[in-house]
Amino acid sequence: MIQKKICILGAAGVGKTSLTAQFVYSKFSEKYLSTMGVKIDKKIVTVDETQVNLMIWDIHGEEKYKKITSSYLRGAAGILTVIDGTRPETIQTAHEILDRVHTDIGKIPNIFLCNKADLTDAWDISPKQLDELKQYNNPIYNTSAKTGEHVEESFVQLTRMLIKP
Amino acid sequence: MTSQTLPQPLYQHIASHTIQQLEPAWLQLKKGSDCIIQAGGAWQHYYPQQPQVGQQATELFDVLIGMLPITEHFELPQIQLQDGQYTDIFALSDHQHDWLLFCDVTQNTLQLQQYQQVSNDLILLKAQMKQTLHRYVGHEISERITQGEMQLDAAGERKTIATLFVDIRGFTPFNERHDAQVVMQTLNDYMHCMLPSILQHHGMVDKIMGDGVMAVYGILASETDCCFNALHSAEQMIQAVHTLNQQRLNQDLEQLGIGVGIASGEAVLGILGSHERRTFTAIGRHVNLAARLESNARVGEILIDQATYHALKQPRTFTPVTLTLKGIGQTDIFSQTLPCIHNQD
Repeated sequence: MIQKKICILGAAGVGKTSLTAQFVYSKFSEKYLSTMGVKIDKKIVTVDETQVNLMIWDIHGEEKYKKITSSYLRGAAGILTVIDGTRPETIQTAHEILDRVHTDIGKIPNIFLCNKADLTDAWDISPKQLDELKQYNNPIYNTSAKTGEHVEESFVQLTRMLIKP
Repeated sequence: MTSQTLPQPLYQHIASHTIQQLEPAWLQLKKGSDCIIQAGGAWQHYYPQQPQVGQQATELFDVLIGMLPITEHFELPQIQLQDGQYTDIFALSDHQHDWLLFCDVTQNTLQLQQYQQVSNDLILLKAQMKQTLHRYVGHEISERITQGEMQLDAAGERKTIATLFVDIRGFTPFNERHDAQVVMQTLNDYMHCMLPSILQHHGMVDKIMGDGVMAVYGILASETDCCFNALHSAEQMIQAVHTLNQQRLNQDLEQLGIGVGIASGEAVLGILGSHERRTFTAIGRHVNLAARLESNARVGEILIDQATYHALKQPRTFTPVTLTLKGIGQTDIFSQTLPCIHNQD
């Protein structure tokens, strides 16, 4: 079976762990528990009759004084960059993370997840900020770790991008 | 400080204390591969069984997939090999062998997590408060307040501002004719298209009173054209309601007609209320005048006072009108009417 490592990245509190838990265990918890270091989960994904063992590296949220260790990215085939739709400042963190990924391991498939789609009433992303994300030419999904909206689709889409570049 | 500068007994004490805390375990790998040729240390902390010679390290630890063979030294800090247990993994090599060193850092990491949790909770709380403030006073003003550049104090501050009142004409009978839930949905649709017109022109939503809104312009010291901003807001509001009415017409819903009143002058801006309940507000003669103008405005009409008309450099689109205003008397004002509703025939 094909094995692929993917990393889920983004600012603290954007919902990386919740998205992973929703995808792997179909679970969601309202309680926020800050991730330390890395937690690795696995799930077998079938894309167009090909089975892929997806290794999901849920990496701690990136903050100003706590940068992601570049060795975490070693061997990654793709990334999910998560943004909190209710906090526009998390877009800036996404830009910084992508810049570093490109520097450390080069350009690899990426999907942007604008998370907390269940709170669209509180969304605060401007059309200009969205246009800046679109310039990467990477798919953008509005996801909700709470309701499961577009969670499965986004992980499967990334897997598809990894096996059929 | 190096091992050479520390007396041997002290160095040994520190080394043994640290090793005891870290409970290290190690794998010696065949050079350039992930094949185990020797294993030692406190493996019970990291894996159910002692790794065996000939096994592949990547078979035992998923975290190492894609990492081996070791081409350069690296470190994987705070890896959760099992739930709630944190391990630092070091990959090292010399000219004969490759090595993997596992150190238990659970205790330290859990302490750090407590700090991290508090820090992240504060970040999220601050973002939430900023967003709430943003909704009331707009992005620009909320940014200045959260950065401490602007304060809202109870003593009040004198400023020249423009005040705008707007509401839906004939909303009381509409309210009586419809179910409360329909009224709430209608008001929400209406506010969704109205409020951005205020915030986009540096205005602050002072009050929402059912279908009525009071907004003030000129709160920021740098803002010198509060009357222009208030007028542009009003024009955009009527345009937005005109667009909303097209959608309502398509859905066979009643049209909403709004009227606007704008007046400008000196006002005191401050906090009103007690410790239990406070609100930011503007107090001044022209505020009352703006409210009176709004209550006299017809559907699609913007009524402005003389001060605003002159500040706007006497726009030709406005025509002079004389009205008798309740509590104020005969007043010379100016009027402009824009399309707001669609013909339902």
